[in-house]
Amino acid sequence: MNRMKVALAALLLFAAGHASAETPVTAKLADVKLPRYEQVRLPNGLTLLLMERHDVPLIAFHGRLRGGALADPQGKEGVGAIAAELIQKGSGKRNAQQFAEAVDSVGGQLSVSAGREATTISAEFMAKDRGLMLELLSDILRRPSLPKEEFEKVSQREIESIRAAKDGDPRNLVPRYFNAFLFASHPYGRAASESSLGTIAHEDVANYVRDQFGADRAIFAFVGAFDAKSFAAEVRKTFGDWKKASGALAAAGDTKPATGRRVLLVDKPDATQTYFSIGNVGMARTDSDRVLADVANIAFGGRFTSMLNTELRIKSGLSYGASSSLVRETKPGTVSINSYTKTETTGKALDLALEVLGRLRSDGLDATTLASVQRYAVGQFPPTLETGGQLAARLTELSFYGLDRSDVETYASKIQSAEREGVQRVINRLYPAEENLTFVLVGNAAEIREVAKKYGEVTEIKITDPRFAP
Amino acid sequence: MKKAATLLTLCLIAMPLFGQKKAPAPPAIGSDVASKTLKNGMKVIVWPDHDIPNVAMFVWYRVGSRNEYAGITGLSHFFEHMMFNGAKKYGAGEFDGVMEANGGRNNAYTNQNVTVYQNWFPRTALELIFDLEADRMQHLAFDEKVIESERGVVYSERRSGVDNNNNGLLYEQVQAAAFLAHPYHIPVIGWPSDIESWKHEDLVRFFKTYYAPNNATMIVVGDVTPAEVFKLAETWIEPIPAQPPPDPIRTKEPEQLGERRVVVEKDAQVPLIQMAYHSGAATDPDNDALDLLLTILSRGESSRLYRRLVAEERVALDVSMFRATAFDPSLTWLTATVLAGIDPARVEKIIDEEMAKVISDGVTEAELQKATNIAAANFWRSMRTISGKAQSLGNYETFYGDYSRLFDQPALYDAVTREEIQKVAAKIFRKTNRTVGTLVPKQVAAAQETN
Repeated sequence: MNRMKVALAALLLFAAGHASAETPVTAKLADVKLPRYEQVRLPNGLTLLLMERHDVPLIAFHGRLRGGALADPQGKEGVGAIAAELIQKGSGKRNAQQFAEAVDSVGGQLSVSAGREATTISAEFMAKDRGLMLELLSDILRRPSLPKEEFEKVSQREIESIRAAKDGDPRNLVPRYFNAFLFASHPYGRAASESSLGTIAHEDVANYVRDQFGADRAIFAFVGAFDAKSFAAEVRKTFGDWKKASGALAAAGDTKPATGRRVLLVDKPDATQTYFSIGNVGMARTDSDRVLADVANIAFGGRFTSMLNTELRIKSGLSYGASSSLVRETKPGTVSINSYTKTETTGKALDLALEVLGRLRSDGLDATTLASVQRYAVGQFPPTLETGGQLAARLTELSFYGLDRSDVETYASKIQSAEREGVQRVINRLYPAEENLTFVLVGNAAEIREVAKKYGEVTEIKITDPRFAP
Repeated sequence: MKKAATLLTLCLIAMPLFGQKKAPAPPAIGSDVASKTLKNGMKVIVWPDHDIPNVAMFVWYRVGSRNEYAGITGLSHFFEHMMFNGAKKYGAGEFDGVMEANGGRNNAYTNQNVTVYQNWFPRTALELIFDLEADRMQHLAFDEKVIESERGVVYSERRSGVDNNNNGLLYEQVQAAAFLAHPYHIPVIGWPSDIESWKHEDLVRFFKTYYAPNNATMIVVGDVTPAEVFKLAETWIEPIPAQPPPDPIRTKEPEQLGERRVVVEKDAQVPLIQMAYHSGAATDPDNDALDLLLTILSRGESSRLYRRLVAEERVALDVSMFRATAFDPSLTWLTATVLAGIDPARVEKIIDEEMAKVISDGVTEAELQKATNIAAANFWRSMRTISGKAQSLGNYETFYGDYSRLFDQPALYDAVTREEIQKVAAKIFRKTNRTVGTLVPKQVAAAQETN
């Protein structure tokens, strides 16, 4: 089992021997090398990536079909999401029940979901069932039967699952509101909601599948226990005659940071805690500063001892957790601070979060923090590429964004060569100034309405409103 | 998955017989796990895996909310937080700071039975992690100011997981109603008034009683050798003295005499239903059959309950079942999200019909085969990462007293018969053996009141 060939020599220098609190700063951890994989583009435009791995008798699949929610018609947000479910409810010679039986009976896993810019398919089957796995993948993508009665069920469940989420842990909800409020009319702000889902007809979904699915939109990665040469032939046989997509490829225009301050207050009357996000538009996946942005974000809110968690949790006990996140896609996504605190301390926690943001922008990272973040980022990188599923997802991601293996293989050395000045420059570019912030607060509006006004012009909606933005 | 289980068995038996004549057969999975018990009673289990230059080290303490009582409910979980808040060599905040500065990351969790500390780190930090664990196992400090601050953190965790989360809220109520006598009625996060009032001396007593090396097991999986891990354990952990073993939990839950019902009225758009059936402890021999039965009833869209409740009659959004892994007899749960506007009683009626059916007619051969195939595939999924391996080893060692049972599990599932499944269904899924909880939207409850 040597899935990740890491030059061990450098590591072994520091193997068990002393227990000083810090390994030497010069400890140069080796870059992670991606194991060998085959990449081919079939004549119909399908990109195929194959990596052999024999540690467990499983085959992992990850696929991306360009389009996703971007291809949802305006006002009918959620068509792609319904399509992702409906293609699993009958295809080829199987109806919904037979399809479920086929997957479950061999202990397989298969899921499809519509992301913002792509429909993603994940699957994992025992290696001996690879023939069935290919047949099922091919059926759902090429021969979905889209039965009307299943459409009714799927669209009802999509609506109900949003309602159920609104009764659940609010931590899972805030990002949906933040995204919808920040991007507003830009396609990145489109969110499937109870109201948009209610307008979708079976025909909309049928059109979506007909126009958006096709070989030239697809990137497939298989990682696992197979012989790459013969398996490639099987995949070619199954997908080689898949037609190209007939509709136009949806694309998003540039996203721009919002200027000024505004607040969306979502009233959840029985909430005893206020859940909030603060942020703006950040950076794209392919940005040349992306590694420096990782360094900055780990320090700011990407690990337990980050600046945000130190202030809002460790030192003050205001919250169970505070973090910052970067969503990076073809165009810049969100950069945000995320936390929560009991209703009574809402203002205190928001002020503290803003103070930490101000400090990040004015002071950047000191040398000790930078060194710590560098070791942390490099030390935690190998486990992100440990399983077949992780590797398959990474291979399709690189291909989707037009990146190559160097994105992975130079990551550690780029992290290690980061310097304070470069990180400071990226901080000031990436994290918004205090006058340009968008806020989302989910909580008991009667108690926090006055507090919310301090941070900008407030728009208020109810959690039971059937949409995520005004 | 008849296949993988057969393969495992063959490897175990065939190797000594044929190993010398032919090219050596690949070693059976798990054959390279090594273990050693230190003089202070702590067992160390090591599984080398050199795929990535990283290590997963988990320390399992045999303490959880079952060791609590009125006044200190939630203390085990609070203690889990305090284990990161400073000891002797590494003061407040340094445990995390030093670990992260050396490329490591950690987490921990508490349940009714155990508290588990998880460290994931590059192998360069191996000895440092021993140093950190030894320091807090021996010399934990309890700073008053830190205790007060951490109360706020834990209460915030409770608000997210229970108070502002309808499923978490109902779960707590059903759990509490299902046990009259046994401390499994205590919520792991603790009742709010206890979170606000437990004392310094409660923590000190808890530490001395439960955080002893003889009450813990250490699992190390990753880019290491057993020899180097054992040597480090001898250096750092072995000098920590053992303590008298904690008192056993004496209370046994008396048999339930009739169905219990709990209703929660709450702001909600969708109703919820949960059922908790009394079932066996982790070592109960019925569990292999029970696990396969739960798969047949609720795993995947081909399962019996999903088909009836979600696909065919469209009364629920989802349904799931699971069995608690516990030292003492515990619960097997069913939870379902009811569609808005549907009466939970309709969902309950269908569940009752399905339970009656499996008790009277049993399961089919195809269903049994499916369930063993799912179990086999899941076994391999748990073997994909060093973290997954560490979790599985710790689970089997702690609850069965023997990590190697992990590697027998696929064959044990393979041996389950349809008759055994039918028998366990009849034993567990009786109305008199369950607590039924429903969460009813306030508006609906008010309307029913006026009628």
